[in-house]
Amino acid sequence: MIRIEAVGKVFSGRDGSKVTALDGVSLDVAPGEFVAIVGASGCGKSTLLRLVAGLVPVTTGAVEVAGQRITQPSAETAMVFQAPTLLPWADVLRNVTFPLRLMGRAGGDTEDRARALLATAGLAGFETKLPRELSGGMQQRVAICRALLQQPRVLLMDEPFGALDALTREEMSLELLRIWQQTGAAVLFVTHSISEAVLLADRVVVMSPRPGRIADIVPITLPRPRGFEQEGEAAFHAAAQRIRATIYQRVPHAA
Amino acid sequence: MPGLITVVLFFALWEGAVRFFAIREFILPAPSVILGAAIAIWPTLLGHSWSTLTTVLLGFGASVAVSLPLAMLIAASPMISAAIYPVLVITQSIPKVALAPILIIALGANEVPRVIVTFLVAFFPLVVAAVAGLLATPPELIELGRACRAGRLQQMLRIRLPFAVPFVFGGLKVAAALSVVGAVVAEFVGADAGLGYLIQTSMAFFRTPLAFAAVVVLALMGMVLFVVVGLVERVVFPWSSSAASVTSA
Repeated sequence: MIRIEAVGKVFSGRDGSKVTALDGVSLDVAPGEFVAIVGASGCGKSTLLRLVAGLVPVTTGAVEVAGQRITQPSAETAMVFQAPTLLPWADVLRNVTFPLRLMGRAGGDTEDRARALLATAGLAGFETKLPRELSGGMQQRVAICRALLQQPRVLLMDEPFGALDALTREEMSLELLRIWQQTGAAVLFVTHSISEAVLLADRVVVMSPRPGRIADIVPITLPRPRGFEQEGEAAFHAAAQRIRATIYQRVPHAA
Repeated sequence: MPGLITVVLFFALWEGAVRFFAIREFILPAPSVILGAAIAIWPTLLGHSWSTLTTVLLGFGASVAVSLPLAMLIAASPMISAAIYPVLVITQSIPKVALAPILIIALGANEVPRVIVTFLVAFFPLVVAAVAGLLATPPELIELGRACRAGRLQQMLRIRLPFAVPFVFGGLKVAAALSVVGAVVAEFVGADAGLGYLIQTSMAFFRTPLAFAAVVVLALMGMVLFVVVGLVERVVFPWSSSAASVTSA
């Protein structure tokens, strides 16, 4: 579903200096697969996501989504940002339907599907609220519904729970898993939380910084549906330990 | 309510001072005398007010119609902005009082030059406010638009423009007040009706109470316009007015 082939990304500063954000990154994501990307800050994980989203162009290599080479944002992908990025002037329902309306893809059933999706996310009754009337967790739920309503084959999530408190974050992780399993979308999920990555993903991609490279890919064999009780299992610990070891071995000062 | 008390106190003090110090009417008339003068020529005053209001509304409307597209052009590209902004600043550096007689010679003593002067006085703050709003759109929202494959026009109309609405209304309130100023300036120079004209002719004959009556009507006009703009904002764009108005609703 996603094919990342020997991708490199170089940013040029205004003073002419060049920073290599990514170097020789290759990764394939199967349809319906949940892949998490973890790494210390500055390892290029967000950049990688934005390349797949088509928001920034690759310097070398190529990115394909559903067999199409990405040069600009694709209709197959939907993105969830770290901040909810809701339109402050639109109510919840119009926020969720905004991308489809913007792309001229809104149909007669769009609103009904949006209501159903909001109900799934525990937001029934909030359709006519403005974003500022919602809590941070609820706002991010709206943002996730907005992405899912596009029925993307690829869902890109850039630290979507990064701005939430720990409890809301755990609750949202499980909800995301539940909804994701109904949609069958391939997910690329950037996070800096190792336990979150292990809990959610089929595979965890560990990246190392300067330049951003893939240091390790850890398969997570825990059975689904997942839950927090699995955090006590040996397989969970083993995976988390392996990821942690890779990250700290590469960044000795980060501990 | 506290505002009303202040105003009533102010007028009471004024009335008292004029009576106590026996100030002559053509220098400073008492509020009661002004009210009397206004009532005495009520139909005439209404006619002049109507004439001024027409100029104000036409000039205000023109400034809105020109400012918003202009602001979008300026916000759309740094190059257009660099080309247009200096010209705008030049138009603002010219005192409109100086421009009014020239326009009236060129265009005749009719409504057109008055509307143009009103427009010139009112439109600049509106452009500045709208551009500020369009450019203040958070980059995340722009990125969301890009991820949804919005083109530049869509980005402008569906994301930047709605985001700018609170800024635009800030500009509209200033422009509404300035429209009244612009209309009166134009009437001072060339008009045969309007409150500005009434003030000039009254003062020529030392009919100070009448001039004051016209000033009061002008103040009321500016206030009403300001309030109407605020009302439109609250009714049509409830999310625009501050969070306080929502919690109180």
